[in-house]
Amino acid sequence: MNGWLLAAALLLLVGFAPTVWGAASGPVRRRIMAQNLATLVACLAVLLLAQGYARPSYADLGLVLAVLGPAGTLVYARLLADELAGQPVRDRVARGLDRAMTPLAALAVPLVVVPLCVAAGPGRAMVKLLVIGVLLVGGNIVSSRALSGRRAGEKAGAADE
Amino acid sequence: MRPMNDVLIVLALALVAAAATAAVLARDPVRQSTVLALLGLALALLFAILQAPDVALSQLAVGSVLTPLMLLLSVRKVRRKGRADGRADDREQETGSAGEGERR
Repeated sequence: MNGWLLAAALLLLVGFAPTVWGAASGPVRRRIMAQNLATLVACLAVLLLAQGYARPSYADLGLVLAVLGPAGTLVYARLLADELAGQPVRDRVARGLDRAMTPLAALAVPLVVVPLCVAAGPGRAMVKLLVIGVLLVGGNIVSSRALSGRRAGEKAGAADE
Repeated sequence: MRPMNDVLIVLALALVAAAATAAVLARDPVRQSTVLALLGLALALLFAILQAPDVALSQLAVGSVLTPLMLLLSVRKVRRKGRADGRADDREQETGSAGEGERR
């Protein structure tokens, strides 16, 4: 029994499956947030899989995903800006995700990356893992700021004034 | 390692099936695009689990960014064109009715 693969399977079941439901129902903002969360979960799962299969080169997938995930979310935030600005955050799940996204990323990423770094030992692989972790947290901060309802609220307030 | 691998494959296949069903059931293209992005992610995970990281790499680039981008851009263009056509139709109707008025 391989603990890393077990952790990846659990992450897919607990983290990825609910995001499919979140992206398939509800208002547009919640769907985009679920997609953002899904990229984070998928990236962490890929890192765990790379360690589980003992193939450090698989971590490249995680690196690509850490760069492309926030880029995809920013595509949505840019092209659906009208739809996002038009409606306030009324959905409960979307509001919860809006508030919890950055703390969740800041908590989950070290929880996965630090054990992987310990298993990898000092060297190039560890530096790569750390870069991926920093990219994930930074990308999440950027994308959740782009999506956040607060900015839309401020804009509406400014328009009222 | 063997049973764990089977569990992972079954799990990834189930996720792909769920995401694909949701993508088929979504009617609005804008809402469908988020489900399609998730379907791309699930497929990339499946390829990684089946030991094909090169396929997963291209699937990630296409599925998570390019497909939603193309979809959203085309939806935007169609909507703009529809709005412009609507305005043109209105104008034609107005000028048409004015012309009728003059004729009378």
